[in-house]
Amino acid sequence: MTSRLSRTLVFLGLCVVGVSTVYPLIFMALNSMRSSTAFELRPYGLPNHVNLDSFRTLFSQVPFLSSILHSFIVVIPAVILATLSSALAAFVFTKTPVRFGNGLFWVMLMIMFMPGIVVLLPLYVEVAHLGLANNFTPAILIYTAINIPYGTYLLRSNFRAIPDSVVEASRVDGATWSRIFVRIILPIARPGIATVGILTFLNIWNELFISLVLLHVPSDEMVTPTLAQLSGKYSTDIPVLMAGLLLGAMPTLVLYLVTARVFIRGMLSGAIR
Amino acid sequence: MAADMYEEIADPVSGATEARPPRRSRRVFPYLALIPAALFVLGLMLLPIGATIFHSFTNWDGLTSTFIGWRNFSLIIHNPIVSEIFVNSVIFLISVPLILIASLVVAVLVYEKVPGWRLFRFLFFIPNVLSPVIVGVLFSTFFLPGGLADQPLRAVGLGSFAWLSYPWTARLVVILALVWTSFGFGMVVILSAMTTIDPALYDAATIDGASWWCRLRRITIPLISGSLQFLSVINVIYTFTSLFSFVFVITAGGPGFATTTVDYYTYLTTFENGQFGYGAALAVMLFLIVFVLTIAQIKLFPQREVQQGA
Repeated sequence: MTSRLSRTLVFLGLCVVGVSTVYPLIFMALNSMRSSTAFELRPYGLPNHVNLDSFRTLFSQVPFLSSILHSFIVVIPAVILATLSSALAAFVFTKTPVRFGNGLFWVMLMIMFMPGIVVLLPLYVEVAHLGLANNFTPAILIYTAINIPYGTYLLRSNFRAIPDSVVEASRVDGATWSRIFVRIILPIARPGIATVGILTFLNIWNELFISLVLLHVPSDEMVTPTLAQLSGKYSTDIPVLMAGLLLGAMPTLVLYLVTARVFIRGMLSGAIR
Repeated sequence: MAADMYEEIADPVSGATEARPPRRSRRVFPYLALIPAALFVLGLMLLPIGATIFHSFTNWDGLTSTFIGWRNFSLIIHNPIVSEIFVNSVIFLISVPLILIASLVVAVLVYEKVPGWRLFRFLFFIPNVLSPVIVGVLFSTFFLPGGLADQPLRAVGLGSFAWLSYPWTARLVVILALVWTSFGFGMVVILSAMTTIDPALYDAATIDGASWWCRLRRITIPLISGSLQFLSVINVIYTFTSLFSFVFVITAGGPGFATTTVDYYTYLTTFENGQFGYGAALAVMLFLIVFVLTIAQIKLFPQREVQQGA
């Protein structure tokens, strides 16, 4: 790999892969700005003139903006609850002498990648039974629960990287466990916790199955079910579809763009396994 | 993995279990801190799992359930659609080695710091940030007759092709979408494992005349085998349990049942047809299969060095 030729080839290969990851975004953006007739004539290349009819159709035909709002209403509390619960549990598992902690951790490992439907079947029935169908609270709580095992697993290996001697020194100085968690662990592990929080946000925002099953009335839908149904309704009007995809992807793309430095470093330092 | 490094540095005398101040208030917090996670996991995961297992032995329509023993399971085993669907999941497993190879190649190249490697690392993770719903709609748009995928065909005068109307090409589209979304995550996992490899190893090997290929096979792969195993395990699980979104938007399971996966079929039987007991039995079988495959991979994967952080 030292010769100039092979380095150039490698570079070109990476460029091709890089283009493949960016091109769909460009495709979405450009075609959301075309009229459907312009798309039929010329789907590739720059649009001749910007036409925002697709966005108008999207907002007038489907409750699209409210579906984005619903996603935020569900995702933000779930991310906070899941990340905080995971951080607390991971702290107990790694830094405190609680004996049965390991048992709980093994339970979490066992169910970490549980097929969602195993959990969702009885929960769906129970939620309907309690008259809470199409209510955001069950969705928030279920998303929280489902994301806790993986979050705890990640933060556990993250917290293990913090030397026990740091904690021990504070214990000797008489600090309480709660103080150690807030004053020592949280500040040191902030990049790891942020990484897990971002991953959890991506997981929940992008998830389809639970949101589809729990919030299935159009007035309460989250963004992924709305997009999935949009693809059936507007399969012939690609610009409207692309406008929806673009807006639906925006929150996660912006989050990734803004936090990329911390997020990528967090993942590289072992926060993802 | 970073964890291991620190642990070796950490003072071995000070285990966290020693030195316990006597005041009770100081000992309560760890138990309180476990409550949220424990409540969520017990109430919204373990209990539902138990309920699903129980109901898999019943005829359940969501309201009433009657115990029918192994009926659901024998119905499943004798249902020709179900066996077709399990075969589909096995076919989709082709994506796992593809994802591993793509992740490894990209990670190794980025590791060698070709010009612009930071940008590449940033770009390659983008598909991971997008919802499978969005990726699915994009891919189904690209593979419409006359879509982007047909442009090379058109250039040589072959016209358009209905990719999603034939079983094997429809499966190919799902697999491509899956590989495209997954390789960035694999790259990051592998890169994070590679940062723990001592660069001196590569220098020494180069001085001894080891080729690039030889270094990859003799140094890199053995030293990151733990991460490769992890990736293999989670991607197999993902293939069996999480293709729902892709299938839902790209093919709706078709043509026929050619791209229907177990989780999608379970969704159809329960939430569209209201056969909750049957769906529960399907879900339980899916869970058992995933469990067995995970254990098998942990046992069978060639692991030359134990270096996992967790």
